[in-house]
Amino acid sequence: MQTSFTRRHALGLLTIVGTLSVTAPVHAVDSGAQARTFVHEFGNKLVAIVNNDISLSQKKQQIEPLLDQNVDVDAIGRYCIGRYWRVATPEQQTHYLQLFHQVLVNAITDKIGDYRGVSFTVGQSAPSGDDIAVSTVINRPGQPPANTEWVISNSTGSPKVVDVVGEGASLRLTQRQDYSSYIARNGGNVDALLHALTRQLANHH
Amino acid sequence: MRAETGSNSSSPRPSPLPCRPALRLAGAFMGLLALAGCATPPPKDPDALAEYKEANDRYEKLNRKAFGITMWANKYTLRPVAKAYIWAVPRPLRNSFGSLYQTMNEPVVFFNDVGAGKPRRAGDAFVRWCINMTVGLGGLIDVANYAGYKHHDNDAGLTLATWGVPSGPYLFLPALGPSSFRDGLGYGIDVGLSPWNYVPRGYGLLTFNWAYNIMGTINGMATNVDALDQVMKDSLDPYATIRSAYQQQRKAQAAAIKADHRATVPDWYSNR
Repeated sequence: MQTSFTRRHALGLLTIVGTLSVTAPVHAVDSGAQARTFVHEFGNKLVAIVNNDISLSQKKQQIEPLLDQNVDVDAIGRYCIGRYWRVATPEQQTHYLQLFHQVLVNAITDKIGDYRGVSFTVGQSAPSGDDIAVSTVINRPGQPPANTEWVISNSTGSPKVVDVVGEGASLRLTQRQDYSSYIARNGGNVDALLHALTRQLANHH
Repeated sequence: MRAETGSNSSSPRPSPLPCRPALRLAGAFMGLLALAGCATPPPKDPDALAEYKEANDRYEKLNRKAFGITMWANKYTLRPVAKAYIWAVPRPLRNSFGSLYQTMNEPVVFFNDVGAGKPRRAGDAFVRWCINMTVGLGGLIDVANYAGYKHHDNDAGLTLATWGVPSGPYLFLPALGPSSFRDGLGYGIDVGLSPWNYVPRGYGLLTFNWAYNIMGTINGMATNVDALDQVMKDSLDPYATIRSAYQQQRKAQAAAIKADHRATVPDWYSNR
């Protein structure tokens, strides 16, 4: 009895493992390739705008819709506020996401600045939790190449960027520590963060 | 503080303040001693506790003080000097100084590569040292880079990490920047591994050693001043941002060293 049970178990396990090992890599290859294509296309569009011979404000205008399409800003925002998302009232949540959206767009367009001659290469992809991390190397003239990883999520039904990892540091995780530390030091008050973000946006040029 | 050589400081990451052995160990260990009995007790709320553990910053109060003093001092001393240096010295020359500084730190990288049991990396560091110290005029020209021997950073904190030594709580050391118990100890080991600290007195080389360290510090700050300014401006809590970025980056660096299983035989040989 004991043996047959174990044998049946073992057989069942084998079947499961067998199916998994057949299906899993195929799935991984598919979504990996999809994520790489996505990064390639999104990157090309971004680089085309950055390298274009237009004014900075025009660049910003063109980049914003591109970010809306390809970056899951709401998901990043929820991640960045961490445990305080549940503490916040629905009004605070909506207000926060609005502010965060602008902060993120400003942060990205500030970085892009007056760059010209940017190029990038797409490298390998690897699973990162439920998402897929695609590695790229970004080259800017006169600067050492930057290894940057793009974390792509399919949770909204289409691939979208949910994190950028530069030299090992995840932007959303670093941001979350910044925000949560700020809220914690202001007595756990979410409004303190909203005020600070409003101030930040007002001071932005 | 690592040997901040500037070769891979291109990312948006906030870079640690570049400082050099000139400031020395004594400060680091004084800091370690002062820590005894200053720990913040962990919070009770489970979410807050998870956050506390993630930050790994038991000495936050003291660290924040050190951070405040360092940033204040930096604003009025090193930062203006670095800004003036950027203004006065053209970029190619600054790159050359950076490369010189990097080359002369190569022995430390080499010993640590050996310690981490990574022969290929050790070989790269060794060849870089030999080529750059001769053909590269002491490192002013990074010839080894053109020959395919790219620079990589390593330090004793990372070597200890590859041995499985846990980082211990986070530390912000006055003037030295973000660190941890393990990395602080590693810094002390690195000072011991650098041949320049064994130069006998009275050879004129001691002057060189001082010049080298001061130049390295200013050059390192010049490389990172914009990134640091941006963190100070954009973060709501720059202390927490730097802490997080530093911890993530150190983890990634140690993982990258561990995952480097390249063969010792160079590509040009095995590809023939």
